[in-house]
Amino acid sequence: MNGWILAATAVLGAGVGATVWGVATGPLRRRVVAQNLSTALACPALLLLAQGYDRPAYVDLALVLALLGPVGTLVFARLLAGELAGDPPRARALTRSAAGLGAGVVLALCVAVGPSRALLKLLVVGVLLVGGNLLASRALSGGMAGARRG
Amino acid sequence: MGEAVIVVALLLVAVSATAAVAVRDPVRQSLVLAVLGVVLAVLFTVLQAPDVALSQLAVGSALTPLLLLLTVRKVKRRGRRRRENEP
Amino acid sequence: MNRRRTLLAVVEVAAWWAALGALWLVFVTVVDPLELAVGAGVAGVAALAARGARRAVAGW
Repeated sequence: MNGWILAATAVLGAGVGATVWGVATGPLRRRVVAQNLSTALACPALLLLAQGYDRPAYVDLALVLALLGPVGTLVFARLLAGELAGDPPRARALTRSAAGLGAGVVLALCVAVGPSRALLKLLVVGVLLVGGNLLASRALSGGMAGARRG
Repeated sequence: MGEAVIVVALLLVAVSATAAVAVRDPVRQSLVLAVLGVVLAVLFTVLQAPDVALSQLAVGSALTPLLLLLTVRKVKRRGRRRRENEP
Repeated sequence: MNRRRTLLAVVEVAAWWAALGALWLVFVTVVDPLELAVGAGVAGVAALAARGARRAVAGW
């Protein structure tokens, strides 16, 4: 058990555990925010696990999650737009801290990997992760309110 | 000591799966189900099965909630139409 | 005018092809000739799809 896996365990236990609690209880606006944060936090955990197990191929998992997590949140934002228009979710501080955690993890891994093609891949994953989650949380908090309600 | 991450992932799966059963409203259930998919993918990764985790991510994070929400919406619309027609 | 439009389309597909091929090269683990060939082919298909998607979204 090395430091990377320890960090991944901490992120999983504290971060993803909190989002599981958040998605299981409370009003709808809190649940959609927790669902968005669960992908934003599981992706850095997967990156840390890939480094901890010393398997660069596991980075593909984080890549797929960074791509599909925001897609899932956009599905909720689009199909629940009617329910969420009444009280839109506001979680700017939480979203920003999750994005900061993702960026910090990606930077630490970049330092550990050193200049190579793997670093470029990590940077692509980091950009997808942070950008996708900021986009998804903006869509949740009313960016899609003007969308057609079918 | 190396099994701590496996224990954490198993606990997360147990809690979120229980929550997915205990929540009654289908819309909220689909939200819990999306989180359960992500947590299951983490569990598969921790158990060194990244191929299973990859397919779980592909299906569980976006596709299952989309199908569930579309079904809920269609059932609701049909119920509303029947209520308008009957009285 | 028509020749100019054709030239623009070719340049756009070539730009998409170069960008997507570079993305493929970043994502693969080992760079060998087979990967290069497969990447070039897949990037070509994806470049055509990307141009189609861009035209469908942007409307021109």
